[in-house]
Amino acid sequence: MSDGNGSRGRPAPRSTKPGAARQATLYRPLAGAGAGNGRAPDELRAAALAVFEAAELPAWRRSGFWTTSLRDLALDQLAPHHPGPDAAVPDVVSDAVGDEPLAGRLVQLAGDVVDVHLDPELAERGVILCSLEEAFERHGDLARRYFMRRLTYERDKFEAAAAAFWTGGAFLYVPPGLTVERPFQILYAIEDGGTAQYAHTLAIGDRGSDFRLREYDLAAPFFGQALHAGHFELYLEAAARCRLLHLQDWSAGDGEVYDVSTHFVRVARDAHCTWIPIHLGGRLTRQHLELSTAEPGADMRHRGIYFTEASEHLDLYTVDLHESGHTTGDTVWKGAATGASRASYEGLIKIDPGAQESHTYLQTHSMMLSPRAKVDAIPSLIVETDSVSASHGGTVGEVDEGQIFYMRTRGLSRQEAVRVIVEGYFEPIVVQLEDPALEALVRERIAAKLAAAAQDIDAYAAAR
Amino acid sequence: MADLEIRNLHVRTEEREILRGVDLSVSKGEIHALMGPNGSGKSTLANTILGHPAYEITAGEIRFRGQDLTEADPEDRAQAGLFLAFQYPAAIPGVSVANFLRMAINTRRDEPIGVREFGAQLRRVTELLRVDRDFTSRHLNDGFSGGEKKRCEILQMAMLAPEVAVLDETDSGLDIDALRTVAEGVNTLHAETGMGALIITHYQRILHHVTPDFVHIMLDGRIVREGAPELVDQLEREGYDWLRDELEVVTGAPEEDDV
Repeated sequence: MSDGNGSRGRPAPRSTKPGAARQATLYRPLAGAGAGNGRAPDELRAAALAVFEAAELPAWRRSGFWTTSLRDLALDQLAPHHPGPDAAVPDVVSDAVGDEPLAGRLVQLAGDVVDVHLDPELAERGVILCSLEEAFERHGDLARRYFMRRLTYERDKFEAAAAAFWTGGAFLYVPPGLTVERPFQILYAIEDGGTAQYAHTLAIGDRGSDFRLREYDLAAPFFGQALHAGHFELYLEAAARCRLLHLQDWSAGDGEVYDVSTHFVRVARDAHCTWIPIHLGGRLTRQHLELSTAEPGADMRHRGIYFTEASEHLDLYTVDLHESGHTTGDTVWKGAATGASRASYEGLIKIDPGAQESHTYLQTHSMMLSPRAKVDAIPSLIVETDSVSASHGGTVGEVDEGQIFYMRTRGLSRQEAVRVIVEGYFEPIVVQLEDPALEALVRERIAAKLAAAAQDIDAYAAAR
Repeated sequence: MADLEIRNLHVRTEEREILRGVDLSVSKGEIHALMGPNGSGKSTLANTILGHPAYEITAGEIRFRGQDLTEADPEDRAQAGLFLAFQYPAAIPGVSVANFLRMAINTRRDEPIGVREFGAQLRRVTELLRVDRDFTSRHLNDGFSGGEKKRCEILQMAMLAPEVAVLDETDSGLDIDALRTVAEGVNTLHAETGMGALIITHYQRILHHVTPDFVHIMLDGRIVREGAPELVDQLEREGYDWLRDELEVVTGAPEEDDV
């Protein structure tokens, strides 16, 4: 837990010339990175710091499609804020999460964990939920065994920054054979402009455990820029099952949140993960989401939503990695874009040598709602073995005038009709959240985005 | 004056003029059949009555219960009491039939319909049309067979209880069971609420189950003949050619733009 005095002695990030270090958003593997390997966190911090100091500001470029550049981020104006462990949980958190009974909850505001609650009965049975800092003090062996096992700090400056500067952090451990019906919530909130938040979540589902985990990234209304650079890692051991949701909503108020994060999930023998990320906005987001079915019998379902508006820029790169044979996967992403926003999605299926009898499918759908919006969705495939089934498909669509006329003849206005079409498009994924409060929040945010862009959408539909 | 009054209606798309002076009146309580060969303008008329934006009205007017709807938005026409059963209904994935119907009903009310009232109404209508209740929790027309789509149109018609319904080839491609469902829906609403209907069709088959009061025949964008149901029998026996021949005799050679 933080000492809360606001000066942790971590160096402020240093600005360097942007864009010189360009990377194509083709596959740069996390697989086998193994930055942790039992090293003490301080050793890792020092190594990551060296990379950070040497690295230039990155830009990700998909030749002919898009470039994600962080040149508008004034990194040297940002600093990690430390409100202290006694700071109040921000309203934006309580507004978003509803009042569903929980197994446990951890809230990090800027650089400090400000609230941890775990059902005492679960603590009794061996569940651990605490800050990652505390986990290294009290459960050092366990934390070191998994920490950064499959993440790296070497691919770019922000990944290095997250590994070098993280504070607070979240640690969840669910012991073997334990089923927890109520969800665990981990929340990262930013309340003030000028904040650089370096986040790290480490979650472990031991053999045969079964649980639900939700991570929320939320911003209160503020002015100015902020950064969230984060790592998330989840390890599901044999026969474990997890339903994992991510909700990213940085778009409240006029604050400009830049989010550069890496999320990794490893699914072991006969284990299963359903992973549903929901991206509701942020000034600029660049995320690498990788899900590995790593041992025979591992199975995953990956469902994602994004909705960009105004001048937001989203760059999502997902990897469906099969490291072993007899693994199965199924990925569906759906997105929409209004205003002059930019949404770029690349989804890779990668099947490693020897991973025979892997079966997987990836679909990506996107919907353009403005002539100024740009949406690219690229499914791709690297298969390095035989005897697999792997395929992908994608659609880029627009709201159909025939659908609109049909609904208007039933009495709905054009604007209502568009809302119904777009909500209906996302609905098959939204219902899979299996959380009424979260479902309501997502529907409400989608409706608000559509209402905000109504004129634009009308003009666009009418012009075609 | 009739409830739905169409006078001297001229309609064109970007490419060409399709309706060339249509006059037609449909009142509550009346069942009209509109017949005519492919391409005569029947579907254009149906879509224009409901205000499809792709069709431009260049002359004439559409009035409904004294109100001029020629330039009105489709939703205002619907709320005034007009309904169109589509020849090719659009699919709306992710929206259940029941939820959609609730939204549509609420556009016609100040207060949203209560759960019980809506449920009771839906039960009554699904029983009347012998539609499985599960049907209403499926996504609107999404993955529906042709017959299911047409049943769904009639289900919506029965729930929304319009003053005048236009049925655009709702009978096409239906097996006899589905055809009976469609016919029963029209007959019941006609009997119970006095709904008027304009049944657009190619075929005489549906008119064996729904008895029209008036029959209109459309050719080349005009209504060229109107009469009693016996006209249907004549069409069934002789097709449309005799009508063309007769028209030429009456009007002389076809006008230039008839070619």
